[in-house]
Amino acid sequence: MSYLTVGIVDYGMGNHASISQCLRDLGFRVRISHLPEEFNLVDVIILPGVGAFPAAMKTLHERGFVIYLQEQARLQRPIIGICLGMQLLASASYEHEYTVGLDLIPGEIVSFGNRCWHIGWNTLECQPYDPVFWSSDRHSFYFNHSFYYQGPFEYQAAVARYSISFAAVIRRGSVVGLQFHPEKSQITGKRLLKKLIMGLVNA
Amino acid sequence: MLKKRIIGVVTVKNGWAVQSFGYHRYLPLGKPECLVENLDRWGADEILVQVIDRSFDRIGPDYDLLGKLARLGLGTPLIYGGGVRTVEDGIQVIQCGADRITVDALLHDDLAQVVNLSKKLGAQAIIASIPITKTSDGLRWLNYRLKNTKNISIDPLGELIEDGVVSEVLLTDWYHEGIENSFDNSLIDLFKYKKVPLIVFGGISRVGQMKELFSIQNVMAVAVGNFLNYREHAFQQFKELIASEALRQETYATEYSLLTDVRN
Repeated sequence: MSYLTVGIVDYGMGNHASISQCLRDLGFRVRISHLPEEFNLVDVIILPGVGAFPAAMKTLHERGFVIYLQEQARLQRPIIGICLGMQLLASASYEHEYTVGLDLIPGEIVSFGNRCWHIGWNTLECQPYDPVFWSSDRHSFYFNHSFYYQGPFEYQAAVARYSISFAAVIRRGSVVGLQFHPEKSQITGKRLLKKLIMGLVNA
Repeated sequence: MLKKRIIGVVTVKNGWAVQSFGYHRYLPLGKPECLVENLDRWGADEILVQVIDRSFDRIGPDYDLLGKLARLGLGTPLIYGGGVRTVEDGIQVIQCGADRITVDALLHDDLAQVVNLSKKLGAQAIIASIPITKTSDGLRWLNYRLKNTKNISIDPLGELIEDGVVSEVLLTDWYHEGIENSFDNSLIDLFKYKKVPLIVFGGISRVGQMKELFSIQNVMAVAVGNFLNYREHAFQQFKELIASEALRQETYATEYSLLTDVRN
């Protein structure tokens, strides 16, 4: 008997304690590593994140994750980015300076504006064609960010409203980005995270 | 729509959770991790743990407590304050499981470190904790270690707030802390940095008072500490009685199983 294993990419800045504990509570095995080859046998790869986009991309390059994750996405292995990890999935970001991202989902990361942060609980407005997220429509999740994804609507599985309507969930095949923190969104977050992982693995 | 928040506050002194009255009198409550676990179960929107003796003794953040909290597997965002002196301290606090950090003593000691913390972790992770009171001279900012106050309007702290180095200000009415229904709303009117989102704290205990505070545009959160300890499920009662569109309604249960059933 084996259990699903979720790999968490360690690039030095993340709050791994929360996401790993949440995944264990949901019954998944968790492997945290800074070495790409450690992820060859996991069922789902999670890219968490706290901090700035350029520094995160620099570390991902240094640790060999950029080419590795691009290759895994081509192989259609499930990859989930959370918060900054979601933003890293995009083509590029304007945080501090223009920085090329992993480019797994076409789009750019732009600022809400000077001294404008989106912090707290906000409701998702989900697209009905995506059953994993549709069950979380109108539910509240915890956000903490000041940049957001701007890209084609076809990749936006859910939006939230702030000063503008922005992408809260982006998806391209087996690659999914969550701008909010499911691990810090109490039961609604755990439910969504488990449905998402199970949906990706069983797709 | 972005919701306004009710934050549960746990104050820690000498390793024990305490009730605090006016920043000078303390009554023990028990183990901080037990109070935090309750707030997590009750559906607090955020939990603030402030360890008030770490900066006094200059002994850095309480990593032991953060480790205990991480092992709880909290599903609620955690704000930590107490003893953060450097960027390295801040990074380690985040890596130990906190989502955001409050700084208070560091605002008096070394503003450059606050700027560096903000650059490294992002301003969204940094909250300025400012205990103030109103006198005939205007607003006075308390240095809780030296037990003195100074005029807030002439301080470089203002530049830091205006430059967006911190994402929110925890505005504490320290004089009324622990006194029921006593938060002085005029502190908000007199606080001249109107664009920064505020978390208000100190003497907030009544539903009507909370409703009034939430009606102020830049008040994004109300923090409650002592008054959560006088009855069971105080948090749910506050939420139920306020019952506003502006607040999140918690989900306490789900029919979708969260238990282990993921064998393949």
